[in-house]
Amino acid sequence: MARGPASANRTAYLFLAPFLVLFAVFTVYPLILSAVLAVQQTHGPGFARFVGMDNFVALAADPLFHKAVRNTIVYTLGSMFIQLPLALGLAMLLNQPGLKGRGFYRLIFFSPQLMGLVFVAMLAALIFEKRSGLLNQALQGLVGGVLDPESAFPWVRVLHDVVWLDFPWLQTFVMPMLILISLWMYVGYNMVYFLAALQNIDKSLVEACAVDGAGPALRFWHVTIPSIRPVASFVVLLSLIGSLQLFELPYILLDQTGGPQNRGLTIVMYLYQSGFETGDLGYASAIGWVLALMLVALALGQIFLMRREER
Amino acid sequence: MSTSRDRIGALWMSALSPGAWIIALLAVVSGVVVLVMPVRRSPGLELWMFSPEHASMYKPATQAWKEQTGQPVNISVIGIPALSRRVMGGFFAGVETSDLVECERQMVGPMFAGPLESVGFVDLTDRIEAEGLMGRINPPSFTPWTTRGRIFGLPHDVHPVLLAYRSDIIEAAGIDVSQIETWADFERVLRPLMTDKNGDGQPDRYLLSFWETHLDSLEVLLLQGGGAMFTMDGECVLGSERNAELLAEVLSWCLGERRFCADINEWTNAGHAQTIEGYALAFLMPDWMCGIWMEQMPQLSGKVKLMPMPAFEPGGLRTSVRGGSMMGIPKTSEDVEAAWSFARDLYLSPELSRRLFETNGIITPVKEHWSLPFFDEPQAFFSGQATGRLFIEQAPNVPARPASPYYRTALLRLQDAAVGVAEKARSTGKSTPEELLPLTREALEQAQASVERQMERNVFISGGE
Repeated sequence: MARGPASANRTAYLFLAPFLVLFAVFTVYPLILSAVLAVQQTHGPGFARFVGMDNFVALAADPLFHKAVRNTIVYTLGSMFIQLPLALGLAMLLNQPGLKGRGFYRLIFFSPQLMGLVFVAMLAALIFEKRSGLLNQALQGLVGGVLDPESAFPWVRVLHDVVWLDFPWLQTFVMPMLILISLWMYVGYNMVYFLAALQNIDKSLVEACAVDGAGPALRFWHVTIPSIRPVASFVVLLSLIGSLQLFELPYILLDQTGGPQNRGLTIVMYLYQSGFETGDLGYASAIGWVLALMLVALALGQIFLMRREER
Repeated sequence: MSTSRDRIGALWMSALSPGAWIIALLAVVSGVVVLVMPVRRSPGLELWMFSPEHASMYKPATQAWKEQTGQPVNISVIGIPALSRRVMGGFFAGVETSDLVECERQMVGPMFAGPLESVGFVDLTDRIEAEGLMGRINPPSFTPWTTRGRIFGLPHDVHPVLLAYRSDIIEAAGIDVSQIETWADFERVLRPLMTDKNGDGQPDRYLLSFWETHLDSLEVLLLQGGGAMFTMDGECVLGSERNAELLAEVLSWCLGERRFCADINEWTNAGHAQTIEGYALAFLMPDWMCGIWMEQMPQLSGKVKLMPMPAFEPGGLRTSVRGGSMMGIPKTSEDVEAAWSFARDLYLSPELSRRLFETNGIITPVKEHWSLPFFDEPQAFFSGQATGRLFIEQAPNVPARPASPYYRTALLRLQDAAVGVAEKARSTGKSTPEELLPLTREALEQAQASVERQMERNVFISGGE
């Protein structure tokens, strides 16, 4: 007997059921619960009371939360405006016709992604360590030895006088260091997306543009960018989400703290501190919802911009 | 002609394909099996702890317990962050955790945050008093596990802090450390050893391993000088005048012409290399660190000695305290009485005191064990000193550390204040305690305000309800 569309639908639902059940239990239910928690004050196990929007009001006046938001935005901007152009640039270099060893370079640039974030953070901590760190040892040897202490340029004298061996990178420049480490980790990863997009550009469009007299810059602006826009949008969205959720890297690198003066405190780190170190789950949930709303707003903004461009 | 049974069969088959039926059947059967399968709990007591060293020391006690009661003690060693989340998760969800949990000090803050009756650990105060343990255990050891007058854990240790110094270098220079009573003496007597051997204008050796970023050392020095982050009533006093004075003093050790401290990471190989090469001459040394040094830096054997910490003022306290563990009994334990008996017998056993000291250099908080002879045995690593006795001499004096759910928050804000003041001082050229005092006052007041902002949200701490 032939089975009708209703039977096919039921089979489809049956196959979807395991995912739906897990999604409901591990995503929808926690989401609902966190929304409830966000309007409660919780202190230790067994105590919760409804406080309405108090957690959100307290967040709005919380200087540490402001700092976490500022730090996260700085990191996100660094990721977007340094990492993505670099990734695109690398992809364009690797997309040059006649380039030998393209696969090898692709592997080299992508390979940092194969390392776990925890290992990267531990490695970075060793590199940027005072006194024995690779960076300070190199700077002490190179800059300290090469620069002229009697130079006519004041900045040369200043650089010469710095005790590079003791320079506290992870105390003074926490956010730039985090951006630098994430560049190393993610540029190659994003490059692979861009490279795939570049390889799919219709060559006839490029040739037609060249025949019309357009130089490389015009070809890039009028052919390359529009052609890779869908992939670029996807990469931008991924970077935005990933950057706003930054946690493991500073958590490990800064020894489970926000770093000196909270220079490495991110939104998710503050959420973790509030929820698990102070036991204030309500406040932590409120932070989580603010982050979620930020992500939704940014994603909607991006979709809006994309649609406007398409029109 | 089809029968009604055939028609029903056909109807079933039309609803789903045979493959889909098999999947559905498997899902239902496996679901039912999982649901009806009894949750098997291994017999005996379940003990969760964070230290593999402690776990190996407890083995003889667990065997003795099994011989005595016929019940095993199953030990699970779990890293501190995971243990903390697991216990907190259990407490929040009200589900079973273990019969006993050995907790580190930094873990317990949030567990004490709510009303007393909802703390996930059994209140041990009455048992401790009834069995006369208050008099047998060093009183300051109870303070980290006491909130609002109730004790929720049996103390595992005292963790007094002494000063470890490089006797090979200092004694070779003909310096007698017995003339050092205060930090000012320490600086004056040892400063001639801060030399620049390679002529790069920077000393190759400093006097003390300490820096404004060293979270635990900041607290150690604050407590030694009579400062505190919280009162016994749980009030935050981070911004007190005494704290400001002490912070100004210790930060001046890291600044300007006076600088005599070095930033050495006590946990990394690079830090160990600097310690071995003598980049610093002295270190703040809790008893538990002795075992770590002996294991991880055997090159220092015979080159190190211990002495009481120099005091901030003549006649001042010569010790401080760092770290600590307790044994707590979660309320969900199936056999609280057995858990209590095991914990009490374990922690009060002279055998454990011996193993604790011989394996890790840790002294017991049980005062009657302090006269045991192994504490007087010379330690080759520490140049033949009886380190146990040195720590025990200071044990009764260790400062009390009031428990607070906001302890970790306050510690982080203290570090923020220290780093902020040190950086401001470096950029403005200020370095003396007098110059730093206005800065530390302001920074600590801000730090206190930040902690209080969090505390005010907690009606059980702020008394708001």
